[in-house]
Amino acid sequence: MIPTHWFLILSAVLFTIGVMGVLTRKNGITIFMSIELMINAVNLTFLAYARQFGDLHGLMFVFFIMAVAAAEAAVGLAIFISLFHHRDTIDVDEANLMHW
Amino acid sequence: MSEFVIFFLFAAIAVIFAMVVVLHRNPVVGALSLVASFFALAVMYVLLEAPFVAALQVIVYAGAIMVLFLFVIMLLNLQHVAEPPTRPIQQFLGYTSCAFFGIGLVYYIVKYAVFTTQPAGPFQADARAIGIRMFEAYVFPFEMVSILLLAAIVGALLLSGRAVGHRAKIGQEVGR
Amino acid sequence: MAFDTTDVLLSILKIAIVLGLWLNVTPIMVWIERRGSALIQDRPGPNRVGPLGLLQSFADALKFIMKEDIIPAQAHKWLYTLAPTFGLFPALTTIAVVPWGRAFMIPEMHIAGRTLFEGGRWFNPIVADVSAGILVIFALASLGVYGITIAGWSSANKYSMFGAIRASAQMISYELSLTLAAVSVLLVAGSLRLTDVVAQQTNYYYVLFDVVKIPAWNVLSPAMWISFIVFVVSAFAETNRLPFDFAEAEAELVAGYHTEYSSMKFALFFMAEYMAMATMAAVVTTLYLGGWDVPYYNEPATFLGFLVSFLAFLTKVGLLMFVFVWVRWTIPRLKYDILMRIGWKFFLPLAILNIVIVAAFIAAGWI
Repeated sequence: MIPTHWFLILSAVLFTIGVMGVLTRKNGITIFMSIELMINAVNLTFLAYARQFGDLHGLMFVFFIMAVAAAEAAVGLAIFISLFHHRDTIDVDEANLMHW
Repeated sequence: MSEFVIFFLFAAIAVIFAMVVVLHRNPVVGALSLVASFFALAVMYVLLEAPFVAALQVIVYAGAIMVLFLFVIMLLNLQHVAEPPTRPIQQFLGYTSCAFFGIGLVYYIVKYAVFTTQPAGPFQADARAIGIRMFEAYVFPFEMVSILLLAAIVGALLLSGRAVGHRAKIGQEVGR
Repeated sequence: MAFDTTDVLLSILKIAIVLGLWLNVTPIMVWIERRGSALIQDRPGPNRVGPLGLLQSFADALKFIMKEDIIPAQAHKWLYTLAPTFGLFPALTTIAVVPWGRAFMIPEMHIAGRTLFEGGRWFNPIVADVSAGILVIFALASLGVYGITIAGWSSANKYSMFGAIRASAQMISYELSLTLAAVSVLLVAGSLRLTDVVAQQTNYYYVLFDVVKIPAWNVLSPAMWISFIVFVVSAFAETNRLPFDFAEAEAELVAGYHTEYSSMKFALFFMAEYMAMATMAAVVTTLYLGGWDVPYYNEPATFLGFLVSFLAFLTKVGLLMFVFVWVRWTIPRLKYDILMRIGWKFFLPLAILNIVIVAAFIAAGWI
């Protein structure tokens, strides 16, 4: 049986990679994919703890996170399509109309 | 023993492909690497005795969400749009802060979250147990999520309509 | 979860049997498709190579190997090369969770004075009997879209691209009705495990004042008819066969997503298509046609029972494959917007309606 903290460490590494993508990239879709990666790292943590404590609540959270991630992907990608039609780019630095 | 080999193999796959997502300049390659990473995570879920969630992970993420990503990348023809390089200072700050963040996180886990006890079991994560829990204790969040998904569909339709200035036209399209 | 050497060897044997069968599907199906289309169109078909043209497939394979392997200059070389394997992967892995025969007891065996294993041992003719069986099928089948999408994108050809975009939209849409149609079957079986689904179908319904007994195959139960039709039609769309082959659509898109492919890479797409077809036929057989069950025959748990049930399974899959060919050469291609419209506005509500019907049947105690 693999110890729970190994899964937690893997999850931490994946989350960090996701953060790195959000901080260093400019392509909107790549940033979005990094966010999905972070969400998945969190899912892994939930499942690891669900197994550790032997109850299903963590697993339920994973379902709802998946559903929310699907909704988020639909709306987020629609926003990027809209942005691309207005600006001809999905570089997030170009979307600065509300910038002071 | 074989469990540990599988864990390390797929953990390595997940991490390496996640790095490709973050570092590669071509979004299509990035999206496919993310699929590979998610697939490796599904193997992790199987190791965590939740095959149901593993199958859902592949269906929802690899089969639906990432296809949507690829679809949008192809639709916008983004592979030809060169991404401008990030400013060196931003690059440097991003990488160093991430390194500190990651090291801190792992340190915290190693220090405070090491479980010496074996995981509690048996862990009932089959479809029946999940279904009963979902529709008894979690029926209200379940309905809320369905409303959220409906709102997301409507929002996505409204946002991605080509002529944003002509709401009436989009309305006709939706109504047809 | 204790494994010994015999278990590992048995698993390898099972994988070898399934893989051997599935790799041979393509040459056999190519022959059936060509002779079948000739039969339907009233012409002789290939009849020069071997008796009845049986060796035509091998001549084709030889030709594929001899052809020049072309990679377009603008193509993304890595993905262009990998795409055919992405297409092949789901077609080959999905079959692992489908049971293909009656489980039987292997008696104690002695070879050259040595006991091979002590006591009887069950041989369960399924590669991986996982608890989330049907979900694994849908999960792996949903990866099938990547082969086509990547092939179309990496070719750097607009017709390939059109084929790829059409295919991804089509496959996402039809996956929904496919899954929802299968939910009806799972409601009746009460389990996601495919061996349970088949075991439930080996029972009998008693109709006409409990005098006549009919096999409890899902296709024979009135509650399942809508779901059966939805599932089969969605299976056609999911495997990109006519009348839904918009990913290729040779009249509109040259050859669709594999326009630029040649030689063995093209052959791999060809194989993937037929294997996906065979897998879909096996899934339809398992979910609706009773799997390996032979009606009115109680298969004994011996090697004979296994052999009979295995042959029954193969016969059902073969018949369904012939239906695939038959439909292809009978029904013309639809229009793309009609395909999407019937998928979302017709099949999806019908599949959900059928779930309600089945639930009502179960509540009334008729199933």
